[in-house]
Amino acid sequence: MSSSADMDESHLLEICRRSVAGRLPSQAHPEDDEDLVRTGALDSMGWVDVLISVESATGLRDFGSDWPENRPKSIRELAEAIRAAHTGRTEQHAAERFATSAENGSEITIRGWGYALGSVTVDAEQIELDLHLAPHKIRDGAGIQSLRFADATEDELILGQKAAETALDTAGVDVEGVDFLLTTSTTFLRLPSFAASLHSRLLVQESCGAFEIGGACAGLIYSLAVAKSLLRTAPQGVALLVASEVHSRRLKHPGVLGEFRGLFGDGACALVLSSAAATNQERSLRLGDFVWGCSGHFASALTLNIDENSSLALQFKGEPLAHAAVVQTDRILEMLESKSGRPRAEVDYLALHQPNPRVVEMLAEKAQVPLEKIPLISRTCGNLGSATCGVSLCQALTDLCARQDPSRAPLIFLAAVAPGLIWGGTFLF
Amino acid sequence: MRELTLSDITVMAQGYCVIGLERTAEGAFRSVRPLPRRSHAWPAFFPYGRGSIIRFSPAATPASMPHVEDQNTHGLAPSGEQVGEAELVEMLRRAEVSANLDELFRCQLHTDVQGGNAWAEPASATRSIGGFEFRNIRFRVLSDRGEANLRAKLLLPSGEILYSLPVVDREWRQFFSELVRSQSQSGTAPSAEAFLNGSIRTELLRSPNRFARIGLTRGTSNEEKKCWLMLDSLFPQPNPAWLPQ
Repeated sequence: MSSSADMDESHLLEICRRSVAGRLPSQAHPEDDEDLVRTGALDSMGWVDVLISVESATGLRDFGSDWPENRPKSIRELAEAIRAAHTGRTEQHAAERFATSAENGSEITIRGWGYALGSVTVDAEQIELDLHLAPHKIRDGAGIQSLRFADATEDELILGQKAAETALDTAGVDVEGVDFLLTTSTTFLRLPSFAASLHSRLLVQESCGAFEIGGACAGLIYSLAVAKSLLRTAPQGVALLVASEVHSRRLKHPGVLGEFRGLFGDGACALVLSSAAATNQERSLRLGDFVWGCSGHFASALTLNIDENSSLALQFKGEPLAHAAVVQTDRILEMLESKSGRPRAEVDYLALHQPNPRVVEMLAEKAQVPLEKIPLISRTCGNLGSATCGVSLCQALTDLCARQDPSRAPLIFLAAVAPGLIWGGTFLF
Repeated sequence: MRELTLSDITVMAQGYCVIGLERTAEGAFRSVRPLPRRSHAWPAFFPYGRGSIIRFSPAATPASMPHVEDQNTHGLAPSGEQVGEAELVEMLRRAEVSANLDELFRCQLHTDVQGGNAWAEPASATRSIGGFEFRNIRFRVLSDRGEANLRAKLLLPSGEILYSLPVVDREWRQFFSELVRSQSQSGTAPSAEAFLNGSIRTELLRSPNRFARIGLTRGTSNEEKKCWLMLDSLFPQPNPAWLPQ
C-alpha cells in the first residue's frame, strides 16, 4: 500500500496504469487520457475491478463509488481522483489526531465490546458426576457453580463471530471498516488459522490484516499490546480483537484429568479498538501502558503436549499453579499502579484471568481488593482461557456504561497469567 | 412438452435470462436454461416468477460451452402451478450444488485484482450455474454512469469467499431500486449499503432458505475468454416489507 509521501503525480499515474493493465489484454496500452469505457477497452464490470484494484493499492476506502456520470473513465482522471481523496483523508486524519491528542492525551481507545458463551449450561454437580470426581470437588473446591459448553453447532468460529459482531455493533463500526483482525485461541488447532478463518467468516476487507497472537490465557492482553502498536500506523485506525476457546472438545481426552477438565468452559470475547474514537465518542476508555514477562520458574506447573499419536499429555500441579498465579497477578497489579500512577484502591474494576473462583478469592484477599470489583465470570461459566479476562472486561464496561458517572474518569486494571508462566497487564482509563 | 420449475430470473440487457429445474430422477434435479428463438434473453415483459411451473417444446440447440444448460424452445407455456420458496430452495439443494469454489463450475476460478470478481475460462468450465448455502454475505453499492449498482460478497461453506459479485437477480434488483428511490426521498435514512448490511443481512442469515445461485456470463466482445461470475439468485427473496417505512 502506498504511503502519503509517495503520492506524486507520476506514482499515482503508475498505480492507475497497473490497475487498468490488470484488466486488459497484455498487448493493450491505453493512453492516459483515453476514456476506457467509452472506447470499449473496459466494460462496466471491468471498470469496477479497476476501482477495487486502486482501492487495494492505495488503501482508499470506497474509492470511486460516487464517480460522476460525465467524468471520463481514464487513467489520468483516476490518478486525479486518488490525489483528491488522499488530500481529503490526510486533512481529516490530521484533524482527528489533533482532536484525539488534545482531548485525551492518548490515541488508542476501546470503542466496542461483546462476548458469546457456549449455549449449554451444566451445573457443578453434573460435572462432578460426568467426570467421576468426588462430590463437591468443583462446586466447593473450585467455587464453580456451573460451566458453559458449546452445543453441537458451536465452535470457536461461531462464538468468535457472535462476539465480534456484537462488539462492532457496540462500536458503531461496519465490518468493512476494520483494518486489523487480531485473534487468539488455544483450542483452535487447525489450518487455515483461527485468524484466517474468522477473517473469511466475518467478510472483512481483503486488505484487513489477520494476526494470530499466542499467549494462551494472557492472549487477549498480548493482542491488545500488538493492536496498540499497529494502530499507530493504521490508515483508518480500527482493530478488532477476538479471543475464543472451546475447551469442552479439546480437553475431552483420556489424557486430561477430570479435575482439570472440570474447570473449563467455552466462550469468546471481542474488542474494537480505534485510534480516533474520541472524536465521536466522549466516554471511550483509553488504553494505557503495558507490563509483561515470563517467569520460567513455574514453567512445569502446567504442561500440555500433543504427542505423535495426537494424544494429549497433561501435567497439572494445581496448588503450586494457583499459588504462582496469585503471587504473579498481585505483582502485576503493583506494576500497574506504578504505570498508571493510581493506587488499586481507586480502581473501579479488575478484569482478570480467573483459573477458578477460589483462586480469585485468594487473590482478592492477598491483593486487598474487594471481590465485587472483579466480574467473576468463572463462577458461572468456568475458566474460558484467553477469553476469561476479556469477558470479565466486557461485563465491567457494560456496568460502567449503566452507571454513567461523569464526575470522575473510570479506571480498570487488566491482568492475566498463562502457562509458562507468561504474564501481562494493562489498564484502561 | 417438458416441464420446468423456474428458479432463476436474471437481468440481461433489456430482458431476462431464466433457468428452471427439471426432474432427472426421484429427488434429483438439473438446471435447464430455456431460450427464446434467436436470442439469449426473454423480453422485458416476462410474466412468470421464481417457483412458476412452465412447459415448453424443445428445439435443436447448438452446444455452447460452458452454457451446457441452454435449451432452445418454441416458447413457454404456463402450467398454472407454482411452488413456494422453501420448496424451491429444497429443489435447488438437490440440483447443481457445491460447498467449495473448485466444484462450483468444476474448474479453476481466477481473479484479476485483489478483492475483484472471479471468472472462469469458457473451455474449462463444465457448467454455467451452481449453488451453495452461503454462510455470510455483505453488500456493496457502487455508482456506475450515475446509476447505483449492487454487488455482493459471499462466504461459502468451505470458508472461501466470492468477492464483488454483480447482483443480477431480478427481484433483488427491483428491491434495490426501490430502496435507493425511497432513500433518496428521505434525508435521514441510512445509506442503502448500511441498510442492506444491517437489517437485510440479518433477515438473510436467519432464514432457513439461505441459498445462492451463481451463474457465468457469456463473455463480452473484448473479453471472450472470460466468463464472469454473477449472483443469479439470492434466497430468501426480498420482501417489500423489509423496506424502510
